[in-house]
Amino acid sequence: MNMVVCVKRVPDTSESEVHIDGSGKGIDTSRLSFGINECDNYAVEEAIQKKEALGGNVTVISLGDKQSDEVIRMALAKGGDDAIRLEDEAFAGSDAVAVAKALAAAVKDVEWDIVFTGALTDDDGYAAVPVALGEILGVPFATYVKKLEVMDDGKKVKVGRELEGGLMEMVEMTTPCVLGIQTGINEPRYASFKGIKQAARKEITIKSASDLGLDASDCGEAGSWAALEQFTPPVVGEMAEILEGEPDETAGKLAGILKEKGLV
Amino acid sequence: MCAEELDFIEKYDLLGCIQCGRCTGGCPVATRTPLRVRGFMYDGLNEERLEELSEKPEIWDCTTCFTCAARCPKGLEPLEVLIGLRSLLIEEGKVQPTVRDALESIFKDGNPWGSPRSKRMDWAADLDVKILEPEDEEKTDVMLYICCTDAYDPRVMKVAQALVKVLKAANVDFGLIGEEESCCGSEVRRLGEEGLFEMCDEENVEMMNSYNVGSIVAISPHCYNTLKKEYHGLKHPVLHYTELVAQLLEDGKLTLNTEMKKLITYHDPCFLGKQNDIYDEPRYILTRIPGAEYKDFDRCRERSLCCEGGGGKMWVETESKEERLAEIRVDDAKEMGAEVIAVACPFCLLTLEDATKVKGVDEEMRVADILELLAEAL
Repeated sequence: MNMVVCVKRVPDTSESEVHIDGSGKGIDTSRLSFGINECDNYAVEEAIQKKEALGGNVTVISLGDKQSDEVIRMALAKGGDDAIRLEDEAFAGSDAVAVAKALAAAVKDVEWDIVFTGALTDDDGYAAVPVALGEILGVPFATYVKKLEVMDDGKKVKVGRELEGGLMEMVEMTTPCVLGIQTGINEPRYASFKGIKQAARKEITIKSASDLGLDASDCGEAGSWAALEQFTPPVVGEMAEILEGEPDETAGKLAGILKEKGLV
Repeated sequence: MCAEELDFIEKYDLLGCIQCGRCTGGCPVATRTPLRVRGFMYDGLNEERLEELSEKPEIWDCTTCFTCAARCPKGLEPLEVLIGLRSLLIEEGKVQPTVRDALESIFKDGNPWGSPRSKRMDWAADLDVKILEPEDEEKTDVMLYICCTDAYDPRVMKVAQALVKVLKAANVDFGLIGEEESCCGSEVRRLGEEGLFEMCDEENVEMMNSYNVGSIVAISPHCYNTLKKEYHGLKHPVLHYTELVAQLLEDGKLTLNTEMKKLITYHDPCFLGKQNDIYDEPRYILTRIPGAEYKDFDRCRERSLCCEGGGGKMWVETESKEERLAEIRVDDAKEMGAEVIAVACPFCLLTLEDATKVKGVDEEMRVADILELLAEAL
């Protein structure tokens, strides 16, 4: 069973304040730390677990600059075999469709039965790459995958999709296929520091747009269906209440509100 | 089995063990968990069993308090065998999610609490403190090394704030590293992540050596122990804050004028007492507080009972349902009529304060760092 897993290096904005930069089309990342996109981390683990159970090869692919090597190495340290990084100025401004075009071109040279991606990214959150990638490759795809069983010697997979209200939709599909992995499908392992250092010895193949056989019209804004206009901060609505004070004080206020509204 | 495991016997001098059992006999957590460290000293001789031993959940019960090593008649350090077994699991990536998250957070943001580096100085937002510049021509007497827990934990950051207040009152020339400060790696090493600890050692030593300071003063005994005894090539002398403050009091540079009519006892942190023989300075400070009465625990100094906060235990829950050692400590304090348990370690502060809540005595008994008491007694 050969697999590809697509990973993205994203800013960690869960605990940090996010500020829009001067262009209005990006955020100030100078004080943010970066790491692997959360869903992608689960996708890596799923691919490695399937490799451990069934054998085969795991290729890690990332679109990004050299700094993305850090998340690629982490995936290699966990058990990935090969890595490809897609880097070209032409990729700047790509939406999910343009990213999917680049990924689709990259996997053409790789033997695979399943391409794993994260269900969505922590930064732009379109949740569209696995869908667009499946369409471009002309294979079955599923998103929000929280259960995966490989059947018939890898010819088919049974996939559980997490829906609202705790429902799990079970679908069967043939391979090759594209799966957008949701958090919680497994428990990602730890990549030790020594493991990451050893993984630095594995080669990461760098490919440009022309290496992938892509025209300028396939890449970046030209290859995108959507163009980013600008970011704006959300307006605080009338119903919003910001609790201020020491943690024990705010916790007390919050508990009071939850109780008052009958939520607990 | 990798090459490292072949050295297991030699690395921990397992053939030197005479199986006397003083390690298990003295182990504070042996009273409430299945951990029997003597058994690991014996079983570890069989290299084929290392993997099986590493999968025993009790290797995570050790708090690395050092009692086993302090009492070993052969001068061995049985706790290190347990750390060695943890490292086998770390290399395979098989650790609890809480441990994984703490280690990844240190790698990414320089602290184990999952908080961004950009928030490391929030605790000092309202304090007028000097941020040191590397290669500054002008020498600063003291560089404060603020533990990650002091920097990020809303309860413990009050201790760091108190330290600033006390040092200002004594006119000490001090500065902070600021957002560039990173985890010392003490807990990293004890969780078995040897490679990441080496990174902490190398990067912190290089960073700290670039500053022109007279000494480094650590708030946490865990940081103190690591900087002083485990780092390679650190050129500045390292002090625990109790050493500096005791000296300031002795020299008359710090005076305490506000009365505190309380019966205070002091809980010796393992990393300050057992591991670094600092017993007198904290007592010297506490007995200078005007109006305060001081009384030692029965089990004090080298016999002090571990609070179970070290050895990575902040991120590993023990399965035992037996009473926690910190709760026993609170019972002991209550029995002697203590109104304040003074501590000198962020982990002791958190574990003992939690225990007063579990015991329902948090209204009548206070757990406070020596620095908080000092700041009130100024």
